[in-house]
Amino acid sequence: MNNPYEVLGVSGNASEEEIKKAYRTLSRKYHPDANLNNPNKAQAEEKFKQIQEAYQQIVKERTEGYGNGGYGNTGYERNGYNSRGYDSRDGNGYGGGFGGFGSFGGFGSFGSFGGFGNFGGGSTGYEEDGHLRAAGNYVRNGYYKEARNVLDSMSEKNARWYYYSALAHGGLGNTVAAREHAKRASVMEPGNADYRNLAYRFENGGTQYRQRQYTYGSPYAGSGNFCLRLCIWNLICNVCCNGWMCCGGSPYRGY
Amino acid sequence: MLSYSESITIKINLKCFIVQSLPCKLLRFGREGSGLKGTAMFGYVIINKGDMKFREFDVYHAYYCGLCRSLKEKYGLFGQMTLSYDMTFVIMLLTGLYEPEEAEGSCKCVAHPFEKHGIRRNEFTEYAADMNLLLSYYKCKDDWEDDKKYRQRFYASLLEKGYRKLGGKYRKKTRKIENLMGQIKKEEEAGCRDIDKMSRLFGEVMAEVMVCKEDIWKENLYRLGLYLGKFIYLCDAYEDIEKDLKDGNYNPLLGMYENPDFEEECREILTMMMAECSKEFEKLPILENIEILRNIIYSGVWYRYEKVRVKRKSEEKGQAKKNE
Repeated sequence: MNNPYEVLGVSGNASEEEIKKAYRTLSRKYHPDANLNNPNKAQAEEKFKQIQEAYQQIVKERTEGYGNGGYGNTGYERNGYNSRGYDSRDGNGYGGGFGGFGSFGGFGSFGSFGGFGNFGGGSTGYEEDGHLRAAGNYVRNGYYKEARNVLDSMSEKNARWYYYSALAHGGLGNTVAAREHAKRASVMEPGNADYRNLAYRFENGGTQYRQRQYTYGSPYAGSGNFCLRLCIWNLICNVCCNGWMCCGGSPYRGY
Repeated sequence: MLSYSESITIKINLKCFIVQSLPCKLLRFGREGSGLKGTAMFGYVIINKGDMKFREFDVYHAYYCGLCRSLKEKYGLFGQMTLSYDMTFVIMLLTGLYEPEEAEGSCKCVAHPFEKHGIRRNEFTEYAADMNLLLSYYKCKDDWEDDKKYRQRFYASLLEKGYRKLGGKYRKKTRKIENLMGQIKKEEEAGCRDIDKMSRLFGEVMAEVMVCKEDIWKENLYRLGLYLGKFIYLCDAYEDIEKDLKDGNYNPLLGMYENPDFEEECREILTMMMAECSKEFEKLPILENIEILRNIIYSGVWYRYEKVRVKRKSEEKGQAKKNE
């Protein structure tokens, strides 16, 4: 496959907005509906598909770690990105940094944590128990369901267990349980940096969302529903009808 | 949906009353009517009007009116009464993603008899109208089966014809949604305390609604819907917890309620759900009407939550004063 940035005609460090714009422009041009009478219909359709795939690929690379855990957990994530393997063949320097994601496949809902590159660290003294080691391997390779089966069959639950359990739950999209178990692991063994990091990531999982949220005023301003509020405005307008409040002369806004 | 009791007294509000309150009043969507917890599915995905430009509101309103029209044409007056803001979001999201051909016009209608206003329709308006009717039908049927509310049976029977038409058109979807609804009901009866499991079941219903086509965006839309649905389910549970506790009804958050950090925990969990939803949204190549969609995702969906928060806070204050 070609370099997806080349397909969209943008540079490798283009902003999200630029990429979306480029996608829109090209997809409008090559959309099958726009090429019904085009003699090169088939080529246009082929191009359209390439554009879509290129866009998806860029998004995936930039957000890798988001994974696809929520969607049926069919194992899609395991052969998602890396099986395309274009970066390994491409060799123009562009794909270089991305190879490492493959083994993790995608960690479900951990997107905002920026991937799990530093997770794992091989086996440790914690994993003398064969079950726990197996669960760890499953988690590392994205087999969350299998990991859960093993974890759920175990009766002894130490910090490591909660750690893996949090990761498995996270991969399966069980946000609430994942968060709770990450916390518990970190409480049981406060000195472990992995556990602490994971708990921290969960605590701050919504940071980006929250930042955006704060740019808006409260949706509920405490004065009843917005319809009612509008109507009060409308009343005010009616009373002092020359005011600038008359909503630019389009009174139906106060419906 | 929005509360309506206050507004009746105000004359001007009559117009808005017809369009917004009548459907939910008659069909009893929203919290009053929720026999089953998981099926209070309308009225969460709305805009934050205060933070919206007039121009943006016009566009939003035009899609809303388009949906109203489609419902009426396809399913008659009773279909029209199922109108919801939530589906307006679905229309605008899919429209932004696929950029279909659109019919723009203006019209006058019962709700605004004196002014012409814009109206926009496209293929996704039709799709959303179908989904709107489908969900409304399940809602009425559930309420009927649960609480033996005869009025609900009456409405369900009115929607039945439209529903049967849809059964053929979206066979896979309806079967899946029906199955999920059945599971929710079963688990609620069993008193399931697994928040993830319960919210997922409802999330998958929303996910089915969100995925309109089998194509490259399917996975993103599915996850977007899944987490939005989880948010709606849990937000509804949060809203009803006090009432459910008092009446001895099922609520997925019952197990958490005793926790001293209950409020904090709920907010965290709800934020995580919306964070996931927004992540999927931001991945989609949507430019058109992005400000409106972001307004809904980042702010509007919190309307009901904030309303409950404000109410509970003022109650707490009142309680504290009394104790003094």
